[in-house]
Amino acid sequence: MAINLVKGQTIDLRKNDKGEEFDLSQVTIGLGWDMRQQKSGGFFGKLLGGNKDADYDLDAIAFLLDANGKVASLGRTVQTSDGRQIGLYEGDVVFFNSQKHPSGHIWLTGDNRTGAGDGDDEQIIVRLNALDPKYDRIVFLVTIYQGRQKGQHFGMVENAFIRAVDARGKEIARFSMSGDAAFSNMCGMIFAEVYRKDGGWKFRALGNPESSDNFVEILRKYTYQ
Amino acid sequence: MAINLQKGQKIDIGLSRLSVGLGWNPNEGTGAAFDLDASAFMINSSRLIPAEEYFIFYGNTDSPDGALHHTGDDPTGGNSAEGDDETIQVDLSRINDSIEEILFVVTIHEAAQRKQNFGQVRNSYIRIVDEATHTEVAKYELGEDFSIETAVEFGRLYKRNGSWKFEASGIGYKEDLAFFVSKYFTGQVIK
Repeated sequence: MAINLVKGQTIDLRKNDKGEEFDLSQVTIGLGWDMRQQKSGGFFGKLLGGNKDADYDLDAIAFLLDANGKVASLGRTVQTSDGRQIGLYEGDVVFFNSQKHPSGHIWLTGDNRTGAGDGDDEQIIVRLNALDPKYDRIVFLVTIYQGRQKGQHFGMVENAFIRAVDARGKEIARFSMSGDAAFSNMCGMIFAEVYRKDGGWKFRALGNPESSDNFVEILRKYTYQ
Repeated sequence: MAINLQKGQKIDIGLSRLSVGLGWNPNEGTGAAFDLDASAFMINSSRLIPAEEYFIFYGNTDSPDGALHHTGDDPTGGNSAEGDDETIQVDLSRINDSIEEILFVVTIHEAAQRKQNFGQVRNSYIRIVDEATHTEVAKYELGEDFSIETAVEFGRLYKRNGSWKFEASGIGYKEDLAFFVSKYFTGQVIK
């Protein structure tokens, strides 16, 4: 068996206070960040600055993997009412263009494009115990939408975090992308995964930075073709 | 008959199945519980764990090759009155070919915050047991040998000419589990 050292892996040494397990019947992935302060100011700043002052648009994404560690369904391409073609619709990827998985057991609460609001700005909620057994693992990631094109990376975004919360509301893991040198110049991160083990679910924090701002590039590692 | 180990002592392990057992008594006083942890690093020729799953501890109880199994965390020492509270079971025949050494360590969880060391823990030991005959091959009494320390490198199984040997190291540290993880793992460690 060949094994490779995977860079950017994470080992979590924390224990629960009372040694109790997290309740993984449901898990919520919360993504939060602060709105961009418009330094150039107002209407003219926007007009002159082009993309320079573009809002930070962070996205939470989930890949549902089968027993082979692959995304079995890439959904279909559909046309929106304004004529755009969007891919991956109603497949095993939950993201801004396909916010509710066809099973109904995993969904994105909405696409926040600016970071407005306190706490979690976007959430992905999974009812793990209701998921079909064919789903063996779910990988959660975050990317900055069009971050490369807009010249953005996590090092610029204020108070960006991603966290996982169990069914009782207890925080399982949290990563801060702001102010961490490992995420400077990075536009993506594979945050964590939940996977089936001994009839239940296990959570593993990963925190692997990715330079890509496009989850479809990361998805290629998880597809059959 | 148990052998109490000398540092650097080498023992031929002709055994195919063995276990490393950690035992201690719960805190009978009013202070925080004593939470000792047994952990194992499966190390390749680069002196690293090939992947995070080859670090066996309370958070990852099985190695991908099926060779090591940790029976689970005992956060108080209450699992067993007399015997092992945590055990790492080893099946030498299943170890991945790339693994050259398995290092066993004992640490006290949150020793610094709880102001604890092995000297405070009653009847703490780590031992290696032949699973075929259920006999103890070697043992350290932690409280006596490492009274002011919070971490002990117990020993290592290593492969020589296709067979496995055990070398007792018995090195005490005033460190935590993250100290060992950072030696054999290049990724991120969350404490």
